Amino acid sequence: MEQTIAPRPTEMTTQEQKIVLTGIARSKGKAKAEAMVFSHRFGWAFNHVGNEDGKVLTAGWDHQGESVTGKIVVYPTVTGSTSGAVSLYFKVKQSKHGPAGLICREIFPFDISGAIASEIPAVDKLDQDPITTIKNGDIVEIDAPEVGQKATVTITRRA
Amino acid sequence: MAMKLTTYQQEMLDGKHGETKQFCMERLSDFGKAVEAEEMVDLVLVLNACPIYSEDRRNPETAEKLAAYDLGHSALYDPIFKMKDAHVADETGTACGNDPYFVQLDKVEEKGYPWNFEIPGKGSFKVDDEMVDDFRAGYDKLLDHGWLPWLSCNPYLNTRIPKMGEYAASSESSAACYINTILSARTNRESPVNTVYCAYTGCMPKYGTHLDENRAAKCIVELDDEVRDNVKGMADFGALGACIAAKAENRIMAVLNLPKNLSAGATKNLISCASPGMNDPMLHLMGITPESPTLEAAFKGNMPKNPERYKVTMDDIIEMYQYLNNLAPAPGPDRAKPVDIVIVGCPHATFDEVREVARLIKGKKVKEGVQLWVQTDTPTYFMAQQYGDTKAIEDAGGKIYHQTCMAMTPFRHYPENIVIATSSFKYVKLGAGFGSEGTTWIYGNPESIVMAAVTGVFTPTARWDYWNRPREERLASEKDRPLYEVPVPMIG
Repeated sequence: MEQTIAPRPTEMTTQEQKIVLTGIARSKGKAKAEAMVFSHRFGWAFNHVGNEDGKVLTAGWDHQGESVTGKIVVYPTVTGSTSGAVSLYFKVKQSKHGPAGLICREIFPFDISGAIASEIPAVDKLDQDPITTIKNGDIVEIDAPEVGQKATVTITRRA
Repeated sequence: MAMKLTTYQQEMLDGKHGETKQFCMERLSDFGKAVEAEEMVDLVLVLNACPIYSEDRRNPETAEKLAAYDLGHSALYDPIFKMKDAHVADETGTACGNDPYFVQLDKVEEKGYPWNFEIPGKGSFKVDDEMVDDFRAGYDKLLDHGWLPWLSCNPYLNTRIPKMGEYAASSESSAACYINTILSARTNRESPVNTVYCAYTGCMPKYGTHLDENRAAKCIVELDDEVRDNVKGMADFGALGACIAAKAENRIMAVLNLPKNLSAGATKNLISCASPGMNDPMLHLMGITPESPTLEAAFKGNMPKNPERYKVTMDDIIEMYQYLNNLAPAPGPDRAKPVDIVIVGCPHATFDEVREVARLIKGKKVKEGVQLWVQTDTPTYFMAQQYGDTKAIEDAGGKIYHQTCMAMTPFRHYPENIVIATSSFKYVKLGAGFGSEGTTWIYGNPESIVMAAVTGVFTPTARWDYWNRPREERLASEKDRPLYEVPVPMIG
């Protein structure tokens, strides 16, 4: 379901612009990192994103061969095995090649539980479509203080 | 919004029933908030993955092995294994068990199995001893905690059969789909994180496909009569399931005009093939699904005047076969592709599937250098031993095993460039994404792949010559068919 909402006025400076979105926190926490945006459904299972190195393995996916390590990963919703939940946990907590946070149009429950176990923030139901609003390389800050409550996503784009 | 808890659930959360239950309840409550659940449901079945229990996960050598063997779930158990009072809720009727893992525990050293084999000219594979010991340690821990570590994909067939209206938590997608569709018990495609916790509490937040509104059909998929009458083999049912899910664009659908008298294996294959990619693990098979005696019931009372309708034709099935055989196409000419491994049983083979392989291979010999593997669950494994199917398969040089499955071994570390023929949609569809370098796949019915194990070469049967012709030509050729012949072409 594509949302077409006009971008709201942003604070312009000479170097960068800022966009603030609000959504719902599905896993609590704070994170600030570079965004990695997937235009298609995405999954965390070990056959999609390597557990030992965090590299995107699946042929034909955006960012194939790149690493998700330390990024805030933006994707519409999940695809693939339920083991994505524990593979996400493994990457964050054990191999230290996990993402810093998740942003989805609509996050699927097993990704929520993976994010909670990994203690990284996860946000969905934003007031603008994150897939089109956030661009690769933007610096994104998630502030999600409490599960089920309002969360903010601040996007900083270098001009 | 806080969840309404029963007195017992609140007491677990308050720590009155011990540290483990409190620890798990806290995590489930957090999850419940995130999915906006209003209450908890009691579970009759929990299905997740058995852990690899390592003393020291941080040791670099062990960590490297774990990256290959562990799905990521093992460390979740560590805090629970340290607790003195850890015991699953089986006294309240929650049966807790697991998906297959990488060895049959009593045959670790035997050769010719997925955990220890050689492909002449291509290389060999053997599981790591340390990992096997740690898997055994995890398995023993679970036994101590009251789990029934059945290491099976389909406990719903013979180990704990949920009834209509009961709740389960299955992180095995195909099992979730079967439990919802055939038994009308209720489960989500559950997260393997939650299934660790809800095993110890016996309850979990009510959300997703537990709720009526998320089980409603959104459209109708109807099978052509030609499809109904010609879908015969296990792989056909896999392709059919995939076509149904594709037509409905992975939404929940009501399915009309299914073949009568589906065998256990056919049902399992049909449903498990619809499950990958379907986030809501539910089909309404009209005439089969208990909670959907009518289309109105399948749509949960919200049936539109003209629901979207899609048709599945035989051409769709053939196209799906072609697509699956082109995902990671095996080398060789169309008519004869050399194979290394022939494998049946993902999800685990039902008894009728095991019997079929035994019947096809009986009195023949598997070609030197080719592996024929049949993987099944524990009850079926012992039934096959009892009734002679195991003997037929082993005398021919094939192998049958339980507790494990090829995809749960570190498949990425198999020898390169192997060719695998299978009747499992799940293997082709998912395996094409996680095999070793150059692994290629052939998708076919048991008749043709068992023959491939005997000859070492996969050849599609005459049936495909028939089905590859344009429809008019096919129908015209039927006119010349003598009456005493079977009304449909041979299966291949």
